[in-house]
Amino acid sequence: MSSNEGHRLAIRDLSVLYPDRTDRALDRVDETIEEGEIVAVTGPSGCGKSTLCRMIAGFVPSLVPAEVSGEVRIADRLVDRMSPEAIAGRVGFVQQDPDAQICTLRVRQEVAFGPENLCLPADEIRSRVEASLAAMRIEALAERSTPTLSGGEKQRLAVASILAMHPRVLLLDEPSASLDPEGARDLFSLLKGLSRDERRTLVVVEHRLRPLLGLRPRLVVLDRGRIVARRDGREPIDLVAAGLRDAWPAARPVRRPGPAALALERIAFGYDRPLFSGLSLTVRGGEILGVIGPNGGGKTSLLRLIAGLERPWTGTIRRPESARVGFVFQHPHHQIFERTVARELRIDGQASDREVAARLATARLDGLAAAPPLSLSLGEQRRLTLMTALARDPDLVLLDEPFIGQDRRNVVWILSRLLRVRHRGGIVVLVSHDIDLIGALSDRVLFLGGEAIAGRPGEVFAQLAASGRPLFTPLLNGGGS
Amino acid sequence: MIPRLKAGAHDRGLHRAGPGANLLLLGAMLAVGFATPSVVLKIAAVALVVVLTAVSGEGARRFLGSLRFVIVFAVLLFAVQALTVGEGNVLLPTPVRITDRGLIAGAGMALRFLVVLSSSFLFALVVDPDRLARSLIRLRIPYRYGYLLILSLRFVPFFRRETAIVREAQRMRGIEASVRTPRSLARAIRFTFVPVLVSGLTRVDSIAMSMTGRCFGLHRRRTALTDDRWTTADGAVVALSLAMALLVWGSRAGGWP
Repeated sequence: MSSNEGHRLAIRDLSVLYPDRTDRALDRVDETIEEGEIVAVTGPSGCGKSTLCRMIAGFVPSLVPAEVSGEVRIADRLVDRMSPEAIAGRVGFVQQDPDAQICTLRVRQEVAFGPENLCLPADEIRSRVEASLAAMRIEALAERSTPTLSGGEKQRLAVASILAMHPRVLLLDEPSASLDPEGARDLFSLLKGLSRDERRTLVVVEHRLRPLLGLRPRLVVLDRGRIVARRDGREPIDLVAAGLRDAWPAARPVRRPGPAALALERIAFGYDRPLFSGLSLTVRGGEILGVIGPNGGGKTSLLRLIAGLERPWTGTIRRPESARVGFVFQHPHHQIFERTVARELRIDGQASDREVAARLATARLDGLAAAPPLSLSLGEQRRLTLMTALARDPDLVLLDEPFIGQDRRNVVWILSRLLRVRHRGGIVVLVSHDIDLIGALSDRVLFLGGEAIAGRPGEVFAQLAASGRPLFTPLLNGGGS
Repeated sequence: MIPRLKAGAHDRGLHRAGPGANLLLLGAMLAVGFATPSVVLKIAAVALVVVLTAVSGEGARRFLGSLRFVIVFAVLLFAVQALTVGEGNVLLPTPVRITDRGLIAGAGMALRFLVVLSSSFLFALVVDPDRLARSLIRLRIPYRYGYLLILSLRFVPFFRRETAIVREAQRMRGIEASVRTPRSLARAIRFTFVPVLVSGLTRVDSIAMSMTGRCFGLHRRRTALTDDRWTTADGAVVALSLAMALLVWGSRAGGWP
């Protein structure tokens, strides 16, 4: 066996069918990933990306029941003959939500957790912990309590705790989903170093491909469980030509913006430290305000202030007394309360059967009226919660990262609904890390990150580019990758 | 340049002692609460808890603030005892009969309550559950049980946060959190309980996968990053605990007030 074949991943004719499903999650997938390769797996929601990761990690079918045919080999050993714990010594899997995989209460303990399970001597554990913390540049967080970490810090911790296991293959399921563009660049830069210096194999599942461009990965595109396209990593990926670019047609400007309907006047706010101060901004009816900025910059707090869930330290927020507010939270399940989809759309029994049927059709949930809402896919749940938020024709719609985990089709649907709100004179305040989308859709942009920059999109992006933050500008504006 | 991230640490007072020594101190405090009738000793124990809280960098004022309900309940206990115990020398005959034995009984019960709860609260503040779990493992308790404790504590802030988010989501949807009738109470529970439960179950699945993915359960035993060695802080806490035990013994033998 040549050194290049050391930890080759070989997937042969792999099919996976989950119980109670008629379509296969993976359908006769063949793929070989060489040691040290960087592979990006992409495709629409439900195309089988996460299932592929779980198969390689050995979680299916041993932990997640499913009917499996075909084989996965790591270093020429069949995965289904190895226990997940034994595979873990070779393959490390960083799941989508870093917060959901932290098992202990201190950062150092979390990184040590895996090596301790391997029964390594204390000196070896210590050296692995220090090296992993250093690799992710979180040495200074070592004694911090894990629940107090920010999203970006938790993401780095999740990777560090897997690195301490010394896996040759790293699987990362949407690692940049909750990270701002600079955080995503930092993470991928660290991962690229691991691949280059230590020949570790990286398999990265991502919806948003822009953060991955710097890695120059080989691209594998899945759709309905099948590999439908591959692109060589040696050539720069032309996402436009590949039809995978996260670019959006620009929304047409509003012809006659309405009067000022939302005004923030010298707002100061924070929790244990100030997030922003002296923030002033006016949004007119029929406008979309895109809010961008680094993790922890105060974007979600701004939405909460506008919604009246928080009070500013100083300053005032003016909006019409009778304004109806629709708030779409980041995770759909927080906003689902009823037993069936139809009851959820009936909004406290206020809507007629006809109205509910129309809402079901609009949300593309026909045939799911009697289904329990929490049994829907993430994309369906997102459409349901947006539909319930829009059902009362709100004058002000607030959305917190509504595109996370959503494929292009769903994103287009969400955009179409937001443009309708704008068309009828409503205001949309949209928080997102998807800078291209914000650039294309917004009438005004607000950057929150230490300083606040507000204005027309072109003006804000020009200021951000001039102040050395090109990752917060759209790709078409020359934003860095 | 990728930024390095910053943080602080807990390394003062009782934090520096191991879980074993802190457990012994808790035992001594419980002995003061239950094994001696001495009111003076109980007052001294409550004062010691406040001092140790401050020395450990936890903030005495914040600590007393979080014990607000315990203190109010202790005052109520005292009042009830003082008003209902009729034996002893009458100190105030009208309009209610207050006796010296009633006051002593009330003070004893209220202080017992304060000593037990404040010292338990301090123990929970200063003992790192990770270290406590390791101590339990050293006592030959299977490590899976030790980690059960850690995971339970890991879920406390999670459930608190999820419940707050769900309540806010209800508020934004115009769902009333009324609990005036059994029906509205059932509805409020369902509307809060179901989303939080779903979050919890999803989280449990992910954590189980994360633990398996890091070889939890692969071997019958596991090693540890740190071996908690005996420190001077441990020595000081053990000495303090023994002194308290001696005082308890002395108060019983000598019939101290």
